[in-house]
Amino acid sequence: MNLEKVIFGFFVVLAATLNFGFVIGDIADPELHHPYELFAAIVVNLIATVLKFGDRTQLGAVHLATSLVASLQLIAAGIVWALVQGGGITAGEMSSVVSLAAGALLANVVSVVLLIAETISFQRR
Amino acid sequence: MGNPLLVLWHWIFVPRPGEDEAVDEQGPWRIVPGSEIPRPGTVAPPTASATSGAVFLVLRRMRVPLILLLLVFSISVLGLTLIPGAQPDGGTEPMGFFEAFYFMTYTATTIGFGEIPYEFTTAQRMWVTFSIYIAVIGWAYAIGSLLAMLQDRSFRREIVAQRFARQVRRMPEPFLVVIGYGEAGARVAHALDRRGRRLVVLDRSQERIDALELAQLRADVPALAANPRVPGTLVAAGLTHPRCEGVLALTDDDEANLAVVQAAHLLRPGVPVIARAETPATAARMAAFGQPTVVDPFDAFGDRLRLILRTPALAQLFDWLVSPPGAPVPPRPDPPGQGRWVVVGHSRTVAEVSADLRVAGAEVVELDPAREAGPEDGAFVDLVAGAVGVVAASDRDTQNLSYVEAAQRAEPDVFVVARQESPGNAPLFAALHPDLLLVPAEVVAREVLERLANPALWDLLQAAKGQGDPWAADALAWLVARCGPGSPTVWQVRLDARSAPALVHRLAVEPVRLGALMASPFGRQDPLPLTALMLVRGEDRVLVPDEETPLAVGDELLMAGGPGAQRGWDATLGEDDALAYVLSGSSVAISWWGRRLLRTRT
Repeated sequence: MNLEKVIFGFFVVLAATLNFGFVIGDIADPELHHPYELFAAIVVNLIATVLKFGDRTQLGAVHLATSLVASLQLIAAGIVWALVQGGGITAGEMSSVVSLAAGALLANVVSVVLLIAETISFQRR
Repeated sequence: MGNPLLVLWHWIFVPRPGEDEAVDEQGPWRIVPGSEIPRPGTVAPPTASATSGAVFLVLRRMRVPLILLLLVFSISVLGLTLIPGAQPDGGTEPMGFFEAFYFMTYTATTIGFGEIPYEFTTAQRMWVTFSIYIAVIGWAYAIGSLLAMLQDRSFRREIVAQRFARQVRRMPEPFLVVIGYGEAGARVAHALDRRGRRLVVLDRSQERIDALELAQLRADVPALAANPRVPGTLVAAGLTHPRCEGVLALTDDDEANLAVVQAAHLLRPGVPVIARAETPATAARMAAFGQPTVVDPFDAFGDRLRLILRTPALAQLFDWLVSPPGAPVPPRPDPPGQGRWVVVGHSRTVAEVSADLRVAGAEVVELDPAREAGPEDGAFVDLVAGAVGVVAASDRDTQNLSYVEAAQRAEPDVFVVARQESPGNAPLFAALHPDLLLVPAEVVAREVLERLANPALWDLLQAAKGQGDPWAADALAWLVARCGPGSPTVWQVRLDARSAPALVHRLAVEPVRLGALMASPFGRQDPLPLTALMLVRGEDRVLVPDEETPLAVGDELLMAGGPGAQRGWDATLGEDDALAYVLSGSSVAISWWGRRLLRTRT
C-alpha cells in the first residue's frame, strides 16, 4: 500500500462527495444548501488540485485538468454567493450558485472515474 | 502532454512542433527493415526538451507548502465564521464567509486594515491571534520553499538552457553554430560578428560564456555552457534548425570536435562543417563523416610559412583581403633568402613546419628541446650561427622565449619565428620582436575566416597561389588604386535575371564591357571605387579580368570595393535607367536622381 495513493484517493473522493452533498436537493431552495458544505468542498478541491501538481503522466495531466475545472467552478459559486448574500438570497440566485457547483460535481465525477480507471489498470499489470 | 500547466510551460519554453515533428511522428523507436544501416538524416534527432524534469520537481516540491497554506487559511476562516461577533444593535452574529476570508487575507499577509465590520469580541480576538501565528508560519514556509527552489542550481540551469533554446529557435536570420569559445573560437566569433553574421555559441565552460556576454558583440548571440558532445545540446543550439548554415567545431579537444562532426553529419547531413583537428588521425576520422573542412593549426601554419617565404606579396594580399573592411594594408613580410633553418619543437609541429620549409627550398635542422641542446647550450648557438631562420615552436612559451632570445643574441639578423601558446604572454613576445609569430588559435581563426568570408574569395585565394609574386604585388597596387587604402568589401554577383535584371536586358541588345560598368550611377564622371577580382565563366576563372572583357549572362563576378561601392554597383546592375545613364550618359536625364523622380513606375 502506498500512503501517497491513499491520501490522494481520499481527497479526490472527499472532494466529489462534499460537492455532491452540497448540490443534492431542490436547486432553488436555500434551506437545502449549507454554506459550510460549499466552503468545505472548495477547500478540499483546492487541496486535491495541489496534490495533482507535478505528475508527468498523461493520466496525471487529465487529473489536474479536471481538478482545476472543479475548483474554478466551486470558487465561482462561492463568489456568486458572497455577492448576493446581502439581503437574503432569492431562488434564482440560489439556483445559479447550485448549478455552478453541479458543474463542478461533473468534473469531480470525471476525477473519480479516472482514479478508478487508474486503479484497475494498475491491478491488471 | 495534457496537463494544462505543462502545456503552458511547453508552449512557453519548449520547441514548437514544426521543428521537431519528426520525433512525434516516428516515436522513440524506429524499425529498420532487415539489416539495413540507417542512412544519415533518416534518424529522428533527439529533442532539446528532454530535460524539463526540474519543472516537475518544483511543482511536486511545492505541494506540501501549498497544502499547508490552504489548511491554515481554511481553518482560520472557518473559525471566524463560527465565533459570534458583537453587532451595534446588541445582537451576536458570526462573520460571513466572504468577510472572514477578506479579513484573513489582509491579516495573514500583514496588510492589517483592522477589525471589520465591527469591533471584535474577546473570543474573536483570541482566535485571530492564533490565526495570525499559524498564518505567518504558513506563509514563511511557502515563500521560503519557493525561494529555495528558485535558487536550486539544477533548476536555474534548466531555465537558462530553455531560454537559450528559445532564442535559437527564434533566430530570424541564417546563423552559424560556433562550438568552443576558446581563443580560436572567440577570434572567429568576433570577426564574424563584425561582418554581420549571426552566431550561436556553445562552450563547456561557464566562464567563457560569461566572457562572451561581456564582449559586447553587435548582434545578440545566444550562448550556453553545456557539453557539446551531447547531441541534444547541439540540437538545442540549432543544428537541425532550418536557418543553420554551418557548424564550426573549434574546441581545443579533438575528441569533442570529432563528436560534433559526427553528430552534425548524422543529424543534419550536408550542413557545412569546419572542424579543428590537431592530429592527422582525427582529421582522417572526421573525413569519414561527410567530408568536413578540417583545419589543422600546424599544417595551416606550415602552409602560411611557406607562402610567406616564397611569395611575400601574395601573403600580404591575402591578409588584406580577409581582414575586416577598412583595415589598412598590412606590412609585406620580408623573408630571408636561401639557407639553413633551425626548427625547435616537438615531433609533430616540427615535422609539419620542416616539410613546408623543405618544399620552399630550405635546408632544415630539427631540434627537440626535450632531448637535445637547450637555448643556453653552445650547440644551439653554433647551429644558429650562419642560419637564415629559426623557428621556436615548442609547446611551452617560456622555452620558446628562451630560444628566441638566444637566437637573436647569437645571430642578430636571423629571421625568427616564435610560437606563442598563451594569449597572456603576448607582450613578452612582442618585446622580443620576432619576425613572425605563430599563435595556433589565430592560425585556426584565420583559416576558418578565409573559408567563411566568401566561397568565391576562397577560390580566388587558391587560384592566386598559382600566380607569381609580382602578380600579387601588381594586384595589390591595383586594388589600392581603385578601392582606396582600406581593405575592400568583397562580394559576389551572378549576372542573371534575378540579381542583375537591367544588365541582362541590355546584354540581349548589345555587348557590354566590364569597364563600362565602373562609372558611378550618382555622377558618371566619377568611377565607383571598385574592381572585379575574378570572373567565373563556366569552368574558367579569370583573375582580375581586363576591363575590356565583354560580359555574358551567367557570368559570376567576385567584386571588391571601397565604402558605398556595392550600393552603386547594385543600382547599375538592377535599374534600367541607372544602367543607361552609366553606359551612355543618356541625355534625357540631368541626373539619375532626377530621372528617378520624374519617372512613372510601370
